Amino acid sequence: MLSVQRLVQLMLISMVLAGCAVRAPVEEPAEPMTASQELEGSPALGLLSRAEQARQQGQTSAAERYLERALNIAPDSSWLYKELAGLRLSEGDPRGAEGFALKALRLAPEHDDYRAGLWDLVATARDRQGDKSGARQARSKATALRNPKARPV
Amino acid sequence: MGAPGQVAKFTQITVKGTDKARETHKTLTLFSILPAMAKKAKKSPARSRRQPNRKKRSSGQPRRWFSWSFVGKAALVCLVLGAAGLAYLDALVRERFDAHVWQLPARVYARPVELYEGRVLSREDMLKLLDLMRYRRDSRAATPGSYAVQGNSLLLHTRGFNDSDGGEKAERIRLSLSGGQVRSLEAGGDRLARLEPLQIGSIHPQHAEDRVLVPLDKVPPLLVEMLIATEDQAFYDHHGISLRGLARAMLANVKAGRLVQGGSTLTQQLVKNFWLTSERTLSRKLLEMPMAMLLELHYSKEQILEAYLNEVYLGQDGARAIHGMGLGAQFLFGRPLEELEPHHLATLVALLKGPSWYDPRRHPERSLERRNTVLKVALNEGALSKADYDKYSNRSLEVVPRGASALYAFPAFIDLVRRQLARDYPPEVLSDEGLRIHSTLDVLAQLAAEGALSDHLDRRDPDESKKLNGAVVVVAPAQGDVLALVSNRSSREAGFNRALDAQRPIGSLAKPAVVLSAVSQPKQWSLATLVEDGPVEVTLPNGTTWSPQNFDNQSRGAMPVVDVLTYSRNQGTARLGLDVGLDKVAGTMNTLGVTRNIPLYPSILLGSLELTPFEVAMMYQPLSTGGFSTRLRSITDVLDKEAKPLARYPVNTDEVVDAGPAFLTQWAMQQVVEKGTGRAARASLPQDLKVAGKTGTSNDFRDAWFAGFSANHLAVVWVGRDDNRNAGITGSSGALPVWAQLMGKLPQRSLSQTPPAGVDWVWMNPDGKRVSAEGCGDARRYPMLEASIPQDSDGCGSVKEAGKGIKGWFKGLFD
Repeated sequence: MLSVQRLVQLMLISMVLAGCAVRAPVEEPAEPMTASQELEGSPALGLLSRAEQARQQGQTSAAERYLERALNIAPDSSWLYKELAGLRLSEGDPRGAEGFALKALRLAPEHDDYRAGLWDLVATARDRQGDKSGARQARSKATALRNPKARPV
Repeated sequence: MGAPGQVAKFTQITVKGTDKARETHKTLTLFSILPAMAKKAKKSPARSRRQPNRKKRSSGQPRRWFSWSFVGKAALVCLVLGAAGLAYLDALVRERFDAHVWQLPARVYARPVELYEGRVLSREDMLKLLDLMRYRRDSRAATPGSYAVQGNSLLLHTRGFNDSDGGEKAERIRLSLSGGQVRSLEAGGDRLARLEPLQIGSIHPQHAEDRVLVPLDKVPPLLVEMLIATEDQAFYDHHGISLRGLARAMLANVKAGRLVQGGSTLTQQLVKNFWLTSERTLSRKLLEMPMAMLLELHYSKEQILEAYLNEVYLGQDGARAIHGMGLGAQFLFGRPLEELEPHHLATLVALLKGPSWYDPRRHPERSLERRNTVLKVALNEGALSKADYDKYSNRSLEVVPRGASALYAFPAFIDLVRRQLARDYPPEVLSDEGLRIHSTLDVLAQLAAEGALSDHLDRRDPDESKKLNGAVVVVAPAQGDVLALVSNRSSREAGFNRALDAQRPIGSLAKPAVVLSAVSQPKQWSLATLVEDGPVEVTLPNGTTWSPQNFDNQSRGAMPVVDVLTYSRNQGTARLGLDVGLDKVAGTMNTLGVTRNIPLYPSILLGSLELTPFEVAMMYQPLSTGGFSTRLRSITDVLDKEAKPLARYPVNTDEVVDAGPAFLTQWAMQQVVEKGTGRAARASLPQDLKVAGKTGTSNDFRDAWFAGFSANHLAVVWVGRDDNRNAGITGSSGALPVWAQLMGKLPQRSLSQTPPAGVDWVWMNPDGKRVSAEGCGDARRYPMLEASIPQDSDGCGSVKEAGKGIKGWFKGLFD
């Protein structure tokens, strides 16, 4: 016998499912991802801002060292890997950039815009290594994430 | 460690290139020409005498042994030769002093200890670190290198240092530690602090000279005062040699009835240290004086003093010669010269009379007496107050025991650093240029690894003969940092580096590569697919038959792939590997980081491949990170002697295995520790910590392996005998206990249990071909790649169709 509670649950779920059946779920325009979403309250955040400063001053070695230290404190931070990827790309090391961007994707939260940005980074890094088809694949992933309707089922 | 600005001034007189360094070594050999020149000088007058004689004989005059013209000529020759000799000496003196004053070996530092709220660090470990770094207890932590315990918190006065990110200034921080964590940290406006990196060794491949340069303005003034008071009171007045000093010294010695002062000036002593061998010959004595005077002619008193302080020979540490006060301070007291107290400084000055005679470790009484004499002289000369004299002459020597220093404590790791550096720097740069090498060594991990290996082997093999030995490699897998390297159960002993050079069959450590190769073909294999654990026979090209046995000599029949790994079944693995293909398995091993050529024999499936423990760590690194390969590094940064960044050894990572198969293999390896051949490790680890690993045993119990990891530590342990004989050990009994003890001592994070995209948790029927549901017979839950989830269901549970995760959830609603 179904309890009342179960019945209510089922009704709610079928309503949601019914909604799905009619049209693709309306995605709230997501807040843009920020470093503090991952690193709020972590001392890694301080190191990240020092890394950004160093990078602006052209001190890429220092920036990299800060980011490595930050990763020791917050090893699962996708954002820190993304920063490393960006740094490598600007240093003319697209291969290194690709590795870090893929690692950032592995750790990335469910945030379509953010993930799309990472695929863009992968695409650029692959382009610069002469990997045209790899770049194309990465770009189509980015597009799919930005445009959920076009996403392959 | 001085700040760059302070060192810069100092280097005015130490600038040198590597070519110059080589020249300088030549000067020492050139110097042996001098006696030859002297001989020549003696012969020359003889020759000049013969010729006039011949003339005189022809003229028929009586032979005269004496002639003014001969004396004149001889004097001229002597003068010319003397001038030439002097010019030569002058060049010698200036070349050495100007061009190359000191060889500075590359110094290797551990990773700086980072402190922040939430960092896992026990109070005990913190105090251990402070002790290793020779922080002294001081109720106010007034100066760098001191600390105070105040209730639950520690007041630390850190020493500053430089790094490629700018480093840290010395600062006072308040730290509270409880429950094995840093609870709070108050630092200057920041929530982060770093302790200076501990020096763990230096690299001097060619000449066993070592030195810690201290610029004159960093030398404690009291040391200089004591030095001048005891060794050369007329230092500021004389021109290299001092008759007055000599007379005064003799007087003092006569008064005291023993040798309290020496006759030669500091300048002469420097000449002795710089250019001359330690032989006590007359010719050396005769050269010492003109060279000392030449030195005074060209250089200021300050330059000479600075050179003296950094050059003077203070003793021997095995093959390593201890030169200079900076290294002396470290060698005897484990601290920077700037941090030493008056009685320590006096001990250093006391050594000058005779470094081995007054060695405070070997002859403490003699050393103490001489030290107090130095303090007394300092008192008499007004360099020390009466109160201070009374205070410090009553202190003990306070020399740190030899070997207590972290310096040279980790020979296996230093060897790894040296090999890495040798690829990038020529030897003379490493021995002479004072590079600062920031390494990845984690002192606490290193000590834990050493302790785990020696504890276990001392239990298993307590005999004097000590036949069993072993090696441990600990890595932080995400960045590839080598945190610890042990290559001997007596870890302080250098020698055969088992971790890097003992190449041994890896046995069952090869099996995860077989599983990974299988699940990388998800249409054919999942972890649930049944494999027959039964007799295998393969006829090899040479006509012999390969027929592996299981460890228990039994065949268990059909079992899921995951169990083949969990229980380390040889026959099951062999069948699976042969089905998957030897080339695929070898390819997987290469992908994981095995660089050796892998012969395509079936025996590679069971680990006939020989690897070093370090290579195993390389192979397991991508397994521990979910498929990201990162080159193992032992160095992060190289700085020059002024602590300016020279080079980085950056992290690089490549995705070599897809997320799905990597997750499955890692999960299968977790089952090894949960319930398989590695389960004994559980007792040493926190209950809910998820770790993965694999045991390995080679034929005839020669090698015992365990390689395993958490999210933040990968450790490989090998135990065996150097003579490669039967060691009577298995991976479980020989290596696993070491791994478990080590991992239990380090702060750990669990492996992620969240499957990546494309992997679902699925209840599978025991036949491995149909989906089932929770609670159905012997159904088991597996992480499955979507491509390998079968369409068929065994019909158990309410949902008749094949289902994925979400269906089970719906099912729950109706139950």
